[in-house]
Amino acid sequence: MSDTAAVTMTFHPQPQAGEARPWAFPAPERGSLPNGLTVLRCHRPGQQVVAVEVNLAAPLDAEPQGLDGVATIMARALSEGTDKHSAEEFAAELERCGATLDAHADHPGLRVSLEVPASRLHKALGLVAEALRAPAFADSEVDRLVRNRLDEIPHELANPQRRAAKELSRQLFPPTLRMSRPRQGTEETVARIDSTAVRAFYEAHVRPATATAVVVGDLTGIDLDAVLGDTLGAWTGNFAEPLPVPPVTADDTGRVVIVDRPGAVQTQLLIGRIGPDRHERVWAAQVLGTYCLGGTLTSRLDKVLREEKGYTYGVRAFGQVLRSTADGKGASMLAISGSVDTPNTGPALEDLWKVLRTLAEGGLTDAERDVAVQNLVGVAPLKFETAAAVAGTLADQVEQELPDDYQAQLYAQLAQTGTVEATSAVLAAFPVDRLVTVLVGDAAQIEEPVRALGIGEVTVVTN
Amino acid sequence: MGHTATAQAGSGGLTATEHRLANGLRVVLSEDHLTPVAAVCLWYDVGSRHEVKGRTGLAHLFEHLMFQGSASVPGNGHFELVQGAGGSLNGTTSFERTNYFETMPAHQLELALWLEADRMGSLLTALDDESMENQRDVVKNERRQRYDNVPYGTAFEKLTALAYPEGHPYHHTPIGSMADLDAASLEDARAFFRTYYAPNNAVLSVVGAIDPVQTLAWVEKYFGSIPGHDGKQPPRDGTLPEIMGRELREEIVEEVPARALMAAYRLPHDGTRECDAADVALTVLGGGESSRLHNRLVRRDQSAVAAGFGMLRLAGAPSLGWLDVKTSSGVEVPAIEAAVDEELARFAAEGPTAEEMERAQAQLEREWLDRLSTVAGRADELCRFAVLFGDPQLALTAVGRVLDITAEEVQAVAAARLRPDNRAVLVYEPLPAEAGEADEADVNDENEGAEQ
Repeated sequence: MSDTAAVTMTFHPQPQAGEARPWAFPAPERGSLPNGLTVLRCHRPGQQVVAVEVNLAAPLDAEPQGLDGVATIMARALSEGTDKHSAEEFAAELERCGATLDAHADHPGLRVSLEVPASRLHKALGLVAEALRAPAFADSEVDRLVRNRLDEIPHELANPQRRAAKELSRQLFPPTLRMSRPRQGTEETVARIDSTAVRAFYEAHVRPATATAVVVGDLTGIDLDAVLGDTLGAWTGNFAEPLPVPPVTADDTGRVVIVDRPGAVQTQLLIGRIGPDRHERVWAAQVLGTYCLGGTLTSRLDKVLREEKGYTYGVRAFGQVLRSTADGKGASMLAISGSVDTPNTGPALEDLWKVLRTLAEGGLTDAERDVAVQNLVGVAPLKFETAAAVAGTLADQVEQELPDDYQAQLYAQLAQTGTVEATSAVLAAFPVDRLVTVLVGDAAQIEEPVRALGIGEVTVVTN
Repeated sequence: MGHTATAQAGSGGLTATEHRLANGLRVVLSEDHLTPVAAVCLWYDVGSRHEVKGRTGLAHLFEHLMFQGSASVPGNGHFELVQGAGGSLNGTTSFERTNYFETMPAHQLELALWLEADRMGSLLTALDDESMENQRDVVKNERRQRYDNVPYGTAFEKLTALAYPEGHPYHHTPIGSMADLDAASLEDARAFFRTYYAPNNAVLSVVGAIDPVQTLAWVEKYFGSIPGHDGKQPPRDGTLPEIMGRELREEIVEEVPARALMAAYRLPHDGTRECDAADVALTVLGGGESSRLHNRLVRRDQSAVAAGFGMLRLAGAPSLGWLDVKTSSGVEVPAIEAAVDEELARFAAEGPTAEEMERAQAQLEREWLDRLSTVAGRADELCRFAVLFGDPQLALTAVGRVLDITAEEVQAVAAARLRPDNRAVLVYEPLPAEAGEADEADVNDENEGAEQ
């Protein structure tokens, strides 16, 4: 049936691209302060909100036995009062700058992130320095943070996506490895944390000599050296080396674990294993191949699961660095994630495995590879428009012991990666018989159909 | 305005020009060459408020169909071509509008304009049963994923239904009901397109490293021949009395991890000074970690895990002030409610302090700077002010208006609006459940709209 609007509109051929304008991932200027703090700075004209990231070499592996979560509580306690401000005063002073401050503990270390309008950078950075230099860690504040954290735990468990992530870590890693356990601790371990434990962790692992500050934004008219000298420059500490961390190992024997959630209308899927980190040469090819498999809704997985079958709102394949170290002991999580409606859980998994097998048999096409490269490389100027995006990536590079021009090099490598390399990287990343499948859903409805697929032994655990 | 963070109070020297094609398409251009990218944003003046009983969710389902191909673009071509050109794209549907947007490397701008024009002018030649059935299933899975399968996931829908009476155009949310999604037919979709997807019912903005003369010529070339039409009826009137008059209340007993108190207060329409004053009031009371509610409930009473206010700005109906408190274990909702009421009453009686005003306005200013820090954010705001208030230039001065609000205005709107007889309340009471352990990974986001 033709439509009147279509008949009357004048059609034109698809336009050709104009001439590309040069863009490069910004190169930061690297330096250090007398107290040993490493500083990366990057001027981004027009970015009026300045982003500051501070990396602290306080990995979760450094948490004392039985005190999982102490890094998280310490991170939160940094902004709950100092030698000059009470907890309430500190929050008020920061917000008076129009600033946001976030502190977060993860496997490689702790990250403090500040965003503030450029004109108030000096004052806000002064507050951040105060939090790093002289946190109060008052008993009452730490106790409150512990109780608050305990109250958060049931909320996280109730979220199917987070419940799946927790189960996958427990399945993949040996119990001796910190990565097998929740980043922010369990009810049992968090309940043991007090201000003494928090202060001990701070004193052992937080010091300028093992920290890096990244400052990105429109720095016009800001004497950054003076600002830094006044603020983070006043922070002192010893020059001890950071703690060595153990290598990451995992058991990726193909198997299925169902976390039973009776009555769930959808099944949350998380299918994963571990793979190389960003120091491996294969990383660029793996990024490319993984994008072709499940980077967007026109990738192989969604082409079938979403756009043909309608089983899902979207399934994504990704590689996420867990810890990346120059000595090669790091690893990334390689995973496929999404949710499918309960009755179609079996058929969706069957199709998902079919997509993986078809890929193994026929490989990627040149056209797929080309589109993926054009997207991954082409979106760079969009992706790094804001100061926060640039600062985050620079800080990640530092945390992962990568050179400051890593991201720029990655784009060059992506452009040079061929179809064959991308195919073999994605096949090595997602071998059909070495995937641990976690399903959070209604076991009574999905267990039998999943068993019938023969994708590994199936066990059911209670929620 | 003595404490603004930037000389131009947020607009950063940005300018925008306005144009109108003969078919009624309004065009807003804003040039900025700092980064070689260009954002295209197209707002259609149609949202879930235009839907009729029995067809809730149609505007959003239709938004999905806009990505299923058009006369010159087969299948998933809209996605493939934009992403293959190094661009990103999406669409979202809210109560008041449907937007489509692409951010492109600047040299690929013409492609995005060609694509948007192709589907504005010719979607129906490509729309068929197969894509309708497929996207119906996708949207139903979107609903399950974002609302039905997460704790408190339907709170927004339930509170909205309480806050706007039966039959009011904002009584239902953009995601729609499962029954209505099932009932929508291909003919409904066609009629929807014919009614609302016309150049004279849309605003196009292009922001970034553009040549305005060339850009306007491309817009004329690709959109200029699409005929305008006037099939659209004005939306049903969303006006309501200023005050609800009594508290509306619903208690839900279901599987949630903790008790919760949520409430929606009826506030002034977006676009008014009173609305900006309400925004400042909600920020003082419940924005960030130095707000009155956070200090009272989370820090001092330690009765809540999290407590805060959000705001849903609406132009065609009263806005909503959104209270969300998740209780600490063992705490009962009446204790929380009494503390909230006490804080609101005190605020209404005393008003904000000078320091609270400074903090709240600094926070709101930074939020504006964030929104304007990307070409896509600017393009969206220009469209918003053009569609909802008839003047895109208002986007460039919005932050100045928020900073101009006085403590007296904040106190006045709080006293008039933040009262128990002007709210819908939703209380969650959990079923008895077992306790478990902690866990990791990212949180799911949730917003008032619905995305492709």
